[in-house]
Order: sequence, then structure tokens, then C-alpha cells
Amino acid sequence: MSEAVLRCENVSRFFGGIHALKGISAEVRQGEIFGLVGPNGSGKTTLVNCVTGFYPPQKGRILFEGRQISGQRPHRIASNGIARTFQNVALFKGMTVLENILMGRHIFMNPNPLAALFYPVWAAKEEVAHRRKVEQIIDLLQLESVRDEHVEVIPLGLQKRVELARALCAEPRMLILDEPMAGMNQEEKEYMVRFILDAQEELGLSVLIIEHHLDVVTSICDRVLVLNDGNKIAEGPAREAMSDPEVVKAYIGGQAHAA
Amino acid sequence: MFYRLSGIRHTSYPAARQLWPIAADRWQVGLVTALALAAPVLVSDLYLGSYVLPWLIWTAAALSLSLLMGLGGQLHFGFAAVMAIGAYSSIHLTRAGVPFEFALLGGGVAAAVIGTAFGAAALRVKGLYLVMATLAMQYLVDWVITNVPAISGGAQATLRTPEVSFLLLPLESLDARYYVALLWTVLMTLFFLNVKRTSFGRALAAIRDKDFAAAVIGVDPFRTKLMAFMTASFAGGVSGAILAFCYYGAVTPEQFGFNVSIQLVAMVLVGGLGSVIGGYFGAGFVLLVPIVLTNLIAGLAGAGWISVSQNLAAHLPLIFYGGMIIGFLLFEPLGLAKIYDNIRKYFLVWPFRHSGS
Ligand SMILES: Nc1ncnc2c1ncn2[C@@H]1O[C@H](COP(=O)(O)OP(=O)(O)OP(=O)(O)O)[C@@H](O)[C@H]1O
Ligand SMILES: [Mg+2]
Repeated sequence: MSEAVLRCENVSRFFGGIHALKGISAEVRQGEIFGLVGPNGSGKTTLVNCVTGFYPPQKGRILFEGRQISGQRPHRIASNGIARTFQNVALFKGMTVLENILMGRHIFMNPNPLAALFYPVWAAKEEVAHRRKVEQIIDLLQLESVRDEHVEVIPLGLQKRVELARALCAEPRMLILDEPMAGMNQEEKEYMVRFILDAQEELGLSVLIIEHHLDVVTSICDRVLVLNDGNKIAEGPAREAMSDPEVVKAYIGGQAHAA
Repeated sequence: MFYRLSGIRHTSYPAARQLWPIAADRWQVGLVTALALAAPVLVSDLYLGSYVLPWLIWTAAALSLSLLMGLGGQLHFGFAAVMAIGAYSSIHLTRAGVPFEFALLGGGVAAAVIGTAFGAAALRVKGLYLVMATLAMQYLVDWVITNVPAISGGAQATLRTPEVSFLLLPLESLDARYYVALLWTVLMTLFFLNVKRTSFGRALAAIRDKDFAAAVIGVDPFRTKLMAFMTASFAGGVSGAILAFCYYGAVTPEQFGFNVSIQLVAMVLVGGLGSVIGGYFGAGFVLLVPIVLTNLIAGLAGAGWISVSQNLAAHLPLIFYGGMIIGFLLFEPLGLAKIYDNIRKYFLVWPFRHSGS
């Protein structure tokens, strides 16, 4: 068994009276694709927000590569090597695709007003150096054709891909994807799966993915964690966990509720 | 047509990242620079001293504020106080024998230190509270300047700028003062353009747009905003010092009062948030329109076309002027810069109707 990269120990989170996470323990291992599933409102996004520092857990702790990250602010956690995408695309409006992806290089840059004053001798070198990495990622995710477009004018499927590109540009060791395929058609979904697998393989990432499409989950995830109403109801190899009676019940219950 | 986008292909990263990638724009910039350099010969001293010179300096000040408001998305209603700190510090420094060049830097540093301290406090709060915190800065600085005679310059509360020279050029002549102001405004312009294409400028834009998404790629929101406060305050301080030495010649607290802060905000809003050319347009608009309106109304009343009371004649320009600002906010929130951009785009793709990008 390979070692745990990310480890949640007894993580709890409340929002007022809502107990969104009830003592969740889980671990993501080096190099695996780990699925986080569960019905709507079960606490998946909240768990990810705890990991990335937006909603620090009120109880329990989170370790990344053996060091505690819970309690750190989001930008610190990002520079420790965790990148993520959002359930609702969170690209920067008014910037081009290229500029958005270049933002992903931020942790390697030196955002200094003086650099702008001496642009030709200082900032220009930095810009050009980082452009090379950006072009690699653009190649990998096949975004050449929209490189110079403004992000708000490209289709949602491509926007999600740009967000993935931005996350990859930070050269993370752990990538967290919150419903990367929401709102996509079959073809776009297949592309996205391909890109995630490519990225994971080429860059040696550990991936934590929240996904509603169960076919995708069972086909790409090594292991999954199933949440329901803030509780862990199953954890283990994808197929086994998904056929657990309690998981089936939660899903059918959830669907009946939604219908 | 030489003024075209089509047919321009960049083959290297540095070429694509030039400030003015379109040749026609480079020509324009060159032409404007030449005109600016020749202005003392082309324009009469009266116009140079009372219109062009203040316009340039206020442009630099508006650009300083636009760094914070436009790029960083942080409102600041006490920017005149920042300029005051720069002006008073530099005057006191030169009076103490510090060379003018260093006194300018000193004014910028003093403004940056005090401005950043207030910024740090203001950034703990958001939105309307930030506005209140910057307002507090305005009133606190005003109060200190007015009530400490050692700063304000004694009983009459006017402080004359001493005779100085910039890089051996004495600032007595109008031409010399014009060139110093021009140099500063050009520096600010280049700096602003460059900031927009560095990681600092992009980080500011990212925080302004979606702070959580910026944080998740490692942008420290507090530190970045504080740096914006620092940079803007430094630039505002130097602009204040230049205003004192090159234009006013003597300073009083009222020259940097609350209404001046409002005018600065108006310059940035009317010109276009975060736009360089908008800084020039906005400053020009705010300085000139009241004068034009006053003359127009006085002219019309004098010719007997309209009859207005003395009192109303004094207030009409202000009413028009306020109306125009509201009009901008409602109908063209991106300001004069956007209107200019629309016209430019029209010619860039002429004879076609729309640009491809
Ligand atoms: N900021 C917040 N304030 C209050 N309640 C919240 C907040 N964020 C999440 N919650 C609540 O926590 C619970 C879990 O929400 P969460 O977004 O984690 O669910 P999810 O599993 O991601 O659902 P979905 O599949 O719809 O994305 C929900 O009941 C939600 O209303
Ligand atoms: Mg969610």
C-alpha cells in the first residue's frame, strides 16, 4: 500500500445549526484518483473547502504530505502544492484564456510593483520564462484555438478546461476537481476524462475528484469515499463502495427526493 | 490604410507582449510625445501654465488613484490627503536642505508609509466601511495639517515652496516646471501600462474579480491589496509634491481637502476605471468642463439669451457637472476611455463593422 498524501482526521464543520461534516476521516494515496461522491448537499464541496482552507474545520485536522495544513489560509495551502477547480467555473473575467492560465503560475512569480518599473530588465524575463510552461499546458489540454479569446465568450465546456489548465500550471502535487464535468455533453465529458487521466499520468499527480456521473467515477477512480448528510457511508475500491447497500439506498433516496 | 489590425502576426513572446503591438499606435504615441515636448513653443505661456500643466499633474494623480481603484478595486475617498502628505513632506524636506530630487522621493515615501498604515486598517473592513476608513484618513490628515503650525506653516497656514532645481535645472521658469511635470506623468503612464502586464497587476485584477479564485492559486489577498495601497500612495505623494512645486508654488490645507478627493474619484470614474488613457481624459474633463460651463453660461447670460441670477449662475456649472458624472455612471460605466476605444476599434477594422476579437 502506498503512502497517504492527504489525510483528513475526524473533520467536522458546522454552518450555524447545520452539521455539514460529521467527523470525516479519509486518506488519498500517492498517485491515485480518489472519488468523492454523494447526493446533493451531502458535504462534498464542504470537505474540499476544508482541505483548501476556505472553511477551516472546527474539529479534527488535515495533513498534506505529513504536515498539518488545516488552519492555514487558502493561498498558503495553494503554495504548498494543492490546486483545485470550482463547481461553478471561477475564471477571471476580462482576461484572456492565456492570461487566466498564466495566473496559475502566480506562486512562482514575484508580484512586485518594482518589477513593473523596470519592466524590460526584470518582469519581461519572468513573463517569457513562464510562458513556456503555459504553452506546454495549452498543448496538453488542446486549448491553442482559444488561446487569445476572452474567457467569458468561450463555451462552458472549454471554460472548465481552462480552469483545469490554470490549476495544472501551478505544478501541484495534488489536484482537486469539483464536478469537472457538470453541464457537459457526452463528447466533452470524454475529452475531460482523457485530459484528467493524461495530466495525472504525465505530471504524476494525486487527484481528488467530486463527480456525479457514476459511470465516470467507476471507470477512472481507484478508490472512492461516499458521503451522505455529512456522514461517511462507504470507502474503498470504486465498484465495491458504489454497490454497498447503504450507498444504493442513499442514492435512490436522494433521487426520489429530487424527482 | 495604415491603421489596421489585420496582417499583424507576432512570432515571438516578447513581440506579442510589447506595449503597443500595432504600428499605427506606436506612430500615435510618437506624435503625442513630440507634441508634448514641443508644447512650450506651440502653446502660449498662459495656456501652458493654467491648463496643460495642471492637466498633466492631475493626470498623474488620477493614474495613481486608478492603480488602487481601477486595478485593485479598492475605493479611496481620502486620496487628496495622501497627496497632501507628499506635498508637505517634500516642502519641509527641501526647507531642511534636502535636494529636491530626494525630497520628491521622501514625499512619496512619507505618503506611502502613512497611506499604507491607513490601508492596513481599512483593509480589515470591506465596501462601505472601507470608504469610511479612507474618509477618516482624509479628515485626520486635514486636522493634523491645520492644527500643527509646524506643518502648515504658521498663522496664515500657507507654506511657500522654496526655490529648487531639478537635476541642475532651476524650477523658476514655467518651461522647466512643465518638463518636470511631463517627466513624472510620462513615468506614471509607463509604470501603469507595465503594471497591467506583470504578475502584480494580474493578481490585483484577479482579486478584484474573484478573490476566492485568486487565493486558490496562491495570491495573498491582503498582501497584494496592501501593496496596491503602498504603490498608489507613493505615486500620489510624489504627484502631490509635483503639484506643490510645479503648479501651486504655495500650499494651504484647503488645496487638499475632501472635495479634492471627490474630484479625484470623479476623474477616475469618468475617465474609466483602470485605464491609462482614461486618466488623461478624466483629469481633463474634471478640470475643464466646469470652466467651460461657467464661461458658456456667463456668455449666454451676457448676450441676454438666458436670464439667470448671480447665485444660480454660480451653481449651474456644478449642477451640469454633477449630472454629467451621474450620466457616465449610468450609461457608460467604463468611462471616456471606453468611448475612445469604440471609436478606435471602428477605425481598426474599417470598412468592416466588427472586429474579430
Ligand atoms: N457557506 C455555507 N453556509 C451555510 N451552509 C452551507 C455553506 N456551505 C455549505 N452549506 C451547507 O452544507 C451542506 C453541504 O453542502 P455542500 O455544498 O458541501 O454539498 P455538496 O455535497 O457539495 O452538494 P452538491 O452536490 O449540490 O454540490 C448543505 O446543507 C449546505 O446547505
Ligand atoms: Mg458541491
